[in-house]
Amino acid sequence: MYRKLSAQSTVMLGLNLGSYNYLDSTEVVLHDIQLDVHPGSLTVISGHSGSGKSTLGAILAGLLPRHGMDELVGSIGVGETLIEFSSSSTPRVDVAQWAKHVGLLPQDAGHYLSSIRGTVAEELAFSLENAGVPREQMQQRVTDLAQKLHLQHLLERHPQQLSGGQERFVALAALAMSEPGVLVLDEPLAGLDKRATAVVSEMINLLRANGAALVVLVDSVGVWAREADELWRLNQGTLHRISAEDLLQPGGQTPRRRPVAADAQVLLDMDSVQLAYPGAAGPAVSNLNLQLRAGECLGLAGANGSGKTTVLKAIAGLLKPESGTLALSGVSGLLLQNSSDQLFERTVLREVSFGIPKKSALRHRAPEVLKQLGLETHAQTHPYELPASARRLVALATVLIHEPKILLLDEPTEALDEAGEVVLQEAISSVLDRGGAVVLSTHDERFMERTAHRVHHMP
Amino acid sequence: MSRTINLHPFTILALAVAVVTLTTAASQWWLSCAVIVLCLLIAGWAGHLKKLAVLSGAILLPTFLSLLLIHGLISRDPSPAMAQWGPLRVTAHGLEVALSLGLRTAVLVVVGLLCGLLVDKHQLVAAIDLSPVPPQLGYLLAATLFLLPQMGHKQRQIGEAQALRRVGTRKGITGWFQRVRLRAVPLVLASMQDAQDRAVHLSARGFPAAGVRTRLRTVPDSSVQRGFRWTALAIAVLGPVLILALTRMGSH
Repeated sequence: MYRKLSAQSTVMLGLNLGSYNYLDSTEVVLHDIQLDVHPGSLTVISGHSGSGKSTLGAILAGLLPRHGMDELVGSIGVGETLIEFSSSSTPRVDVAQWAKHVGLLPQDAGHYLSSIRGTVAEELAFSLENAGVPREQMQQRVTDLAQKLHLQHLLERHPQQLSGGQERFVALAALAMSEPGVLVLDEPLAGLDKRATAVVSEMINLLRANGAALVVLVDSVGVWAREADELWRLNQGTLHRISAEDLLQPGGQTPRRRPVAADAQVLLDMDSVQLAYPGAAGPAVSNLNLQLRAGECLGLAGANGSGKTTVLKAIAGLLKPESGTLALSGVSGLLLQNSSDQLFERTVLREVSFGIPKKSALRHRAPEVLKQLGLETHAQTHPYELPASARRLVALATVLIHEPKILLLDEPTEALDEAGEVVLQEAISSVLDRGGAVVLSTHDERFMERTAHRVHHMP
Repeated sequence: MSRTINLHPFTILALAVAVVTLTTAASQWWLSCAVIVLCLLIAGWAGHLKKLAVLSGAILLPTFLSLLLIHGLISRDPSPAMAQWGPLRVTAHGLEVALSLGLRTAVLVVVGLLCGLLVDKHQLVAAIDLSPVPPQLGYLLAATLFLLPQMGHKQRQIGEAQALRRVGTRKGITGWFQRVRLRAVPLVLASMQDAQDRAVHLSARGFPAAGVRTRLRTVPDSSVQRGFRWTALAIAVLGPVLILALTRMGSH
């Protein structure tokens, strides 16, 4: 049911949610939430993976509840319109109209882009094209926005050839093109290197300075604490207000890394290695020298595109060096960056056993590995039904079951919540304790500092 | 270095349709050969000769072989055999039929592929978007043209992930079939998930447009090109009818 609100209201977006549950689920995902978003404000909502942050974001953006499927009891008001939902009535929301007031940037920003346009400028104009805005006006608006957000240099680039940071940057600009009053950003800085983080943060500040209200959904409040007008934690389906002081409480203990023995066995030796992808114009990595000893955790740092993933793939045997020598002692196992490309089976248990011969003793390790990573209750769940953090741990389990001597981790903290990070730390420790070694590539400096014995900076 | 033809995509397509229908209706070996040579010359000028030759060869070689097998070797044609090995007999008429059908198919394939290489895909999608057809058609074409390469990229990533788990690493033709089987399900699942994730945001960005839609990209056109397109389409329809009528009159 739609109602008009008083014109004097200063709230740009107001949510009064009694309860929310998905189709065919008796479990209430969200309940008793009251949230008001004011012009130019920054509201930060933190919560662990699976806490319902993305559901809340989708409700604010009008993408949920799905008409005739999910059940929402409560009301949501945007601008002068109030929509009331009850168990007997789920009004159909015009998503395109709603997006003019509230825009959502998903965690995987690439999903926001249409992926059928040839240049960034066209991608920015996509929503204007669908609204039938005359070409000259579109041209002007794209130019103005590009100028305002300093992205003129990207306008003629192909959207498929952008780096991760640039993709998020462009998606954010495309979102801002419709000039919604409220922007809901799901993990806007996850997986970005330092430079990309600075650029995206600057853009967010610019949007806010121009009057947009921001609702940021994050795993941990971190860098947002200082800037935020309102801090919330989403826990057990409801919002709890937190203060910046709460966040200054000392965190968990930093795990103690056992020092590496000077005479420990060398497990990996890379000498003047050059790596290149087939058909590429030049090498991805040149003259790389690395040595890794048993019990050692090595961090690989560097900007996006510096070749960190390439090095990990070479150690895992997916890429042969063009020149130089790469000597490996023992089996390696690689956790790739994108978990969804690594999951092929219909249950978690089958997934972990995938590819292991039926008579192999390794198969019996599956329940044990699941228990080690806290996944034993999900053994019969479809991996796609798990929250992102648990899905990442399933991908890790598929690597750990092979008991790799050298564990290779590509952006392991991406999509992991705090609890998942603790489990990951323990998994790394167990590999080091049994005389193995770990090489990890991450932009998460805090994690790198806590985990790695030393860091190799890729040029 | 490849060159581009600065024509409206519909102009190139209309010309291609007219050439294919006329050549097929005329059924003259020299005309088919002339069209193929012309296509190769245009491809050479545009810098796509190698690509056109490889792609055409990959399609036409098996086509020619199967036509030769059906009409040239195991034909039941009663004309005198040029050579015979048991049930296999080569007749001049059989070879003629195989060659004629093969050349007509070759024109269709070479012209079609040349269009694919010459027409800028983004221009084509923009031209469709700016025409009065439903917006979904433009998206469907764009998704086919642009998402297929992305699926190729994804299947390589899946292949890497499976190789890391020592699966799908067998060599030879059995290994190839094993890899296809193993990659198919995750590829379809991942693509469906991807489509589902994108769909909500496309709706939020106003797609498909309910009313008039515009495009930032311009597709250069002129009244001369529009006239040419209508003429080419008229020839594509009336040309074969005329050729068939003349052939029938000639045979009486």
